[in-house]
Amino acid sequence: MEAEKTIRVECFRYDPETDRAPRFETYEVPLNGSMSVHDCLLYIRENLDPGLAYFINCKLGFCLRCRMMVNGKPCFACLTEVDADIRVEPPNKTRVIRDLWSEDV
Amino acid sequence: MTSCDRTMKTDLLVVGSEGAGGPAAIEARQRGIDVLIVTKGKISQCGASQMAGADFNLDGKSAIALGFPGDERDSPERFFSDIVREGLYLNNQRMVEKYVEYCPRSIKDLMDWGMRIYTYESAHAEEMARGVIASGVLWVRAIRKKVKELGIPVLQDHMVVDLLTTGGRMAGAVALDIKTGETVLIQSKAVVLASGGWHRAYRTTSGPYDLSGDGIAMAYRAGAKLTSMEMVQFIPFTVYWPPKARGSICLYIFSQFPGVGDFVHLVNASGERFMQKYDPQTMEQSTKGIVAIASELEVEAGRGGPNGGVFFSLEHLGPEMVEMIIQGVKAQFIERFKEKRHEFTHLLPELLEHCKVGRIECGNAAHYMLGGIKVNERAESTVPGLFAAGECSGGLWGAVRVASACSEAGVQGKIAGEAASECVSKVSHVSADEQQVQSVLECITRPIARTQGIRVAELTRRMHDVSGKKLWVIKDGNGLKSALEELKQVQSELEETAILGTKSRRLNDEWIRCLELRNLLTCLELSAKAGHARKESRGEFFRRDFTDTDNDEWLKTVEIAKQDGEDAVSFEPPVVTSITPPIGRLTFQEAIGVATASLTRK
Repeated sequence: MEAEKTIRVECFRYDPETDRAPRFETYEVPLNGSMSVHDCLLYIRENLDPGLAYFINCKLGFCLRCRMMVNGKPCFACLTEVDADIRVEPPNKTRVIRDLWSEDV
Repeated sequence: MTSCDRTMKTDLLVVGSEGAGGPAAIEARQRGIDVLIVTKGKISQCGASQMAGADFNLDGKSAIALGFPGDERDSPERFFSDIVREGLYLNNQRMVEKYVEYCPRSIKDLMDWGMRIYTYESAHAEEMARGVIASGVLWVRAIRKKVKELGIPVLQDHMVVDLLTTGGRMAGAVALDIKTGETVLIQSKAVVLASGGWHRAYRTTSGPYDLSGDGIAMAYRAGAKLTSMEMVQFIPFTVYWPPKARGSICLYIFSQFPGVGDFVHLVNASGERFMQKYDPQTMEQSTKGIVAIASELEVEAGRGGPNGGVFFSLEHLGPEMVEMIIQGVKAQFIERFKEKRHEFTHLLPELLEHCKVGRIECGNAAHYMLGGIKVNERAESTVPGLFAAGECSGGLWGAVRVASACSEAGVQGKIAGEAASECVSKVSHVSADEQQVQSVLECITRPIARTQGIRVAELTRRMHDVSGKKLWVIKDGNGLKSALEELKQVQSELEETAILGTKSRRLNDEWIRCLELRNLLTCLELSAKAGHARKESRGEFFRRDFTDTDNDEWLKTVEIAKQDGEDAVSFEPPVVTSITPPIGRLTFQEAIGVATASLTRK
């Protein structure tokens, strides 16, 4: 299906064991109908970068373990709709285990 | 010799912390047993329980005894008979008796633990709705509170990767700490598996991402017998589009709401209300299984939507009427229940809003697994010391699940807790077989070391392609046979060539998915194998090449166990206590009590 538009998702990437510092990686994600931040991350994981670490369980607003920072604001990834470029970071950047998954997830 | 990074010792290991695992651990702890819960997620924030509606069954008489406005005409006997009759007689009747007997106790427990109950629904006519309604979130929170209160240790974000047996007895399990990548040897006298179904074997499912059939596949590897693996329930009206709501069953629930459900039209791509052709009398309100098959036949005929579904429509009502419905839903359900963590609160109004101007693409999703680890009425599997409770077990429902899976989890969890407590007080620890531990560790770490091969995401995609075509709502012999071969191929490629993008063991998401994929493939393969063996259609299982329900030949369950490294299939008549199954051959529709439906493509 043809995408309605494509957005850029800037993702926080960091492995404290091997990386000197965190970096941001940008992915192009096609939007098709109302999509959440979680849908974008799932698209990235399934199509662009299977190594991206983040937490997924119900994706429908029940488990509430997908807390992260989107454009600097705390939110739940599955409940936050996306219609323009976003920057996604873990909820707590000082306690990152890997990528978007920090100790408090 | 490699060994685990950490070692723990407990009398009873419970795998899973939610609807079934929680009550199992609580029951054991209350009996003074040393128990440890290991869960792949966080307690009250993982598994499928939290996503449930959630309804709990209670027959009318027991309801009155608990202070609810139950229907006196209803009784435990009638409840029992409904489950067996509608389960098309494949149920283990001893398990059904125990289920009916324990339902009130299980609800009483939950109420004692502080679960708020919204409302009571009584049995009306032939309907199965009898019991109380809470919500999945309230349910798992009540369990978490009780687990904490009793001080039961919980190992969170740990995936149990394999069970350990010594001389045919449970010796414990090996777990993987997802966050640190450390392996843990857990020595235990007995194990209760409460790990749910294998929903993620299907691309479209209403289940959460962590349900990967781990318990079923591990039990199978440990030599346990599985039963009814071909019985998978599909649910129609599941949202396919928009992506944000994909997998939500809130439109299905809406279609069952008294008063408004009748407004729902299901149309194909040309706007035709296609249920007219398949079941003109009851239309969209037909039995779930018939709607599921009809939806697939429309998609097959090229009359589906761009995402492989059909369409939920309220267009005929006009936007003003839809707005009235939205206000009604808000007043009746949302404001009354005040449930923030629920799809009814945040998704349903949004989807209905969309119905003012268009349709919503929806279709079938893998919803519930009736089969699993074969257990008896004491939740005992065929391996001494191994118990199973909830969706990962099989035998209770027969060919159709008509009563509550939430009650199943609670009841079987409680029973497993009781039986496992007795078991561990009689036996002593057996030490784990070091060679077995080593081979488990080698097996799980192999993909990390590998440098060339196929990515796990690619193998997952291939599995989903097979399950979405050949193990979907409508099956046939050739499809099942080739599905089995293709799945075996993916499984062997997974074992021999799977690679991971991330090499570190710490929080290696892809590694966890790799380990889950092995279990998912095992469950699917066995489901294909059992399905190929069952040469009839019955309840949740529909074969195009054998459409009749044959009580003369097929009143038996398909069971599979590993014997000398091979899958050995056997057939067993269901356990009968008081209801003698009927004889004779019926059409699929007649058997499930739908007289009018046609299941051929037009």
